[in-house]
Amino acid sequence: MSSQRMPITVAGLRLKRLVREKWGLISWLAIPTIIVFLMSLIAGTGSGKLTGKLLITDHDESAVSQLLAGSFNQGPLAEIFTAKQVTEDEGRQLMDAGEASAWITIDAGFGEAFMNNQPGQLRLVKNPAQSILPQMVETSMQLLVDAATYIQILFAEELAVLKPMLETQKFDDANLVALTLGIKQQLERLESTLFPPQLKLIEKQVAEVEETSTNITFGLLMFPGAIIMALIFSANSLAVLIWDDAGNGVIPRLAATPKALQAYSTGQFLGAAAVFTFLTTVLATLGGLYFALPWWQIPAIIVWLVFAGLVLYAMFVFIALLMPTGKVANITISATTFPLLMLGGSFFPMESMPPWLAGIGQFLPNGFLLKGLKDWLLRQEPMMEALWLPAVLGLVMLAAFWLLSRVLVRQLIHKV
Amino acid sequence: MIKVEALTKKYGDFTAAEDINFEVHAGEIFGLLGPNGAGKSTTINCISGLMVPSEGEVYINQHAVTGDAIQAKASLGLVPQDLALYEDLNGAENLNFWAQAYGLSGQFMQQRIDEVLQQVGLAARAKDRVSTYSGGMKRRLNFACGILHQPKALLLDEPTVGVDPQSREHLLGAVEQLKAQGTAVLYTTHYMEEAERLCDRIGIIDHGKIIAVGSVDELRSQMGEKDLITLQGDFSGVEPDWLAAHVAGFELIEWQPQTVRFMAEQAAEQLSAILGRFATGTVKQTAVQQANLESLFIKLTGRELRD
Repeated sequence: MSSQRMPITVAGLRLKRLVREKWGLISWLAIPTIIVFLMSLIAGTGSGKLTGKLLITDHDESAVSQLLAGSFNQGPLAEIFTAKQVTEDEGRQLMDAGEASAWITIDAGFGEAFMNNQPGQLRLVKNPAQSILPQMVETSMQLLVDAATYIQILFAEELAVLKPMLETQKFDDANLVALTLGIKQQLERLESTLFPPQLKLIEKQVAEVEETSTNITFGLLMFPGAIIMALIFSANSLAVLIWDDAGNGVIPRLAATPKALQAYSTGQFLGAAAVFTFLTTVLATLGGLYFALPWWQIPAIIVWLVFAGLVLYAMFVFIALLMPTGKVANITISATTFPLLMLGGSFFPMESMPPWLAGIGQFLPNGFLLKGLKDWLLRQEPMMEALWLPAVLGLVMLAAFWLLSRVLVRQLIHKV
Repeated sequence: MIKVEALTKKYGDFTAAEDINFEVHAGEIFGLLGPNGAGKSTTINCISGLMVPSEGEVYINQHAVTGDAIQAKASLGLVPQDLALYEDLNGAENLNFWAQAYGLSGQFMQQRIDEVLQQVGLAARAKDRVSTYSGGMKRRLNFACGILHQPKALLLDEPTVGVDPQSREHLLGAVEQLKAQGTAVLYTTHYMEEAERLCDRIGIIDHGKIIAVGSVDELRSQMGEKDLITLQGDFSGVEPDWLAAHVAGFELIEWQPQTVRFMAEQAAEQLSAILGRFATGTVKQTAVQQANLESLFIKLTGRELRD
């Protein structure tokens, strides 16, 4: 017989009190934001691509050596390396200072040796403090050497024509045409070997589509878990408030009214839902902008995380109500919170955990709710496929804890 | 309006309330008078439905509290001994919350909030946070929350504990007003003067049992014309025989090594003769009380109301 508006009033008063108190909301927003920011700084906020500096000392200064040096400034290698021409002394100093990934030296006579089909020499010095980038330089050089060998075999005649031109720097038109035709004929002859018919290249113009794939960085891996961290902190605090209401006499007095205790319980859930909506809207929007997520994903993230928050809140309320005193409830919920945060992917992404530990984390309530979200958001699984099982489990938990809490809240009267 | 029948509440071997019977009619204030721990709050909790009686039944407006709780509670208002307020909200917000808890809404709710604020003298402080109120103002607001829905039966559990005289006067005045409007009020207190001023009938409760019921005059008449004399000192080795033989209307209440209590007719006149029978220095303190509820309580229980 309580007013039908009472749950809304209870929720409104809860929000009003939180806003007046301020620090709860601020800390729930600030803690995960700071953690993600710091972790992103530590792990790097960029695209995740490796970049390095490549030093090149060209003692040969022939067309061939320039071609080789220039190859690191073109194509995919240019996205990874910044190639810099240096003298012998500069190269040594920079390598000693550890400021470059690798140093290539092209000895004098390399170009002439190549044109004469003779062995030439390249020297590579790798930075021992790095592993991936120097290895990439070495592999690239091996590929270039292999390519040069094939060019020498296949285009020996054409190279013979080219050599005097390079030496004299005199390029007459007739010889250039002959050279071009020779290369073309050779390519046509080799076409069946180089381009076997079973590998048919079909060029197809497709309409430009919106980029859906997401570039996964460490910060992005942490982002959904960090919002769940905010939800866990807020759900924890909101759940314990029920003991405050028991202690200040509100719950016993509500129990003496016809039906207001049920309306109060519903109102507390509505209030929690409103808090979670506020937190997830702010954090998901900020995170979505920061990590350049597709805009249409953000509302879905908010809905899912509000649902996750309610499941966690219901669980904490249930635990709080089982405890004999408010102090014990506070200690127990805090003790529950930290394993959830540690193992459930909020402090550390599950992707960075040992598999057995991540396996445990995925069975925690926040863990499976987070995993479902990440499977959809980051691993590109279809939304329904990724979320249906966590949604069902979450709904069962939410319903069970809510119903049990409505019964247990009456027991509080006798505990205070 | 409130009917308590053979109410018993047990916690294991401990009996907090035993075979309590009384009725409170519309427009009547029934006082439950007893010291702390006598069973007053247990009785109130059983009547308000917060506790389930081990035996017996309580009816509010003819609805059984255990069987027809919703109807019974709809007619009931409760002002608990402990404040039930949100201190970080203002007075009007608290009243709004409790009004909705009792099913009020809309314009009528606002009208009632304004009325009770006037009634308890808090209209000027309605928009101030409760945390800024004095203890007495909080008590008045606590009281106001319980009467918003104009209950037919009202339970007031020690509503004036720790309040200043101004707030006490406000509260007692409001209770008298409710009585005049036809509300049945069950009022628990251990303040004898409040009970004497407000209550039409009083039940004296001790150790979970009601040991006397009646109007103030009826209860006083149980004392007869006798006064209560309390002597404090060192009475070890002294026998009460002489007092029994020579004091008119002598009725022994308590004889302890440090305290002696007895009833006597016209105590003031006999006192010097009585004190003269004791050796010098035996009696260190003397008190004479005329017949009132407190002396009756002492007569009935052998201990003081505020023990």
